[in-house]
Amino acid sequence: MKEIMAVVRMKKTGATKKALVAAGVAGFTAVKVMGRGNLVTDPKAIEACKEKLLSMGMDEFSESWDTEKMVTSFLDGSRFFPRRLFTILVHDDDVPRVIEAIVTANKTEYGIGDGTIFVLPVSDAVRVRTGEAGEAAIW
Amino acid sequence: MLLIRAIVRPEKKDEVLAELSSAGFNAATMVDVVGRGKQKGIRIGGMVYDEIPKTLILMVIPDDAKETVITMILSIAKTGTGGTFGDGKIFVSPVDEVYTISKGTAGL
Repeated sequence: MKEIMAVVRMKKTGATKKALVAAGVAGFTAVKVMGRGNLVTDPKAIEACKEKLLSMGMDEFSESWDTEKMVTSFLDGSRFFPRRLFTILVHDDDVPRVIEAIVTANKTEYGIGDGTIFVLPVSDAVRVRTGEAGEAAIW
Repeated sequence: MLLIRAIVRPEKKDEVLAELSSAGFNAATMVDVVGRGKQKGIRIGGMVYDEIPKTLILMVIPDDAKETVITMILSIAKTGTGGTFGDGKIFVSPVDEVYTISKGTAGL
């Protein structure tokens, strides 16, 4: 029995749900959280996106260094952004299949900030309706 | 790898996260939660408040970083000299596997 915790983009919630149903996993819990990942060490990775945002953000009222600082902090991972935390309980054999489904549903062309998946061991689970415990309680 | 779940005071979360980030542990997830502890909430007059707002910080770190992270959270999230009721708790659980979606590979 394993618990899969996946932190994904808000926009990808629907896609993740669809992918989970397609993978044969119907039950999950989703929470709205704030998240951030590792700091971006390679400035080249955010260059294209930064230029685009800077061209949108500049106007006659704001200082250029101020705008640049803000845009950089948006992209390099030092700010928290809304994310969706999925918690899925699965059998041991289903773990690779579910991870594969989540990864394919959530991958974007940006290369940064697509989220992380954690797999944790679970010692027991009980279904409230019937009282059955262990593997039978998952699905 | 280990999952650190730290329940801290909401007013302390920024300080804790900033300090952890400067120590090289930038990745974190935070959730606003409500809860109560051993003291069964706070009693003010005749009213019992047992849904006290806290912030839950989730972090996955390598095994050898456990001591650093925990001592850091403990020292910053503490209020007063000897600590106060309601400063929070830290739970540590094992993590079997970690995948980064953008890379599509295993690892933090």
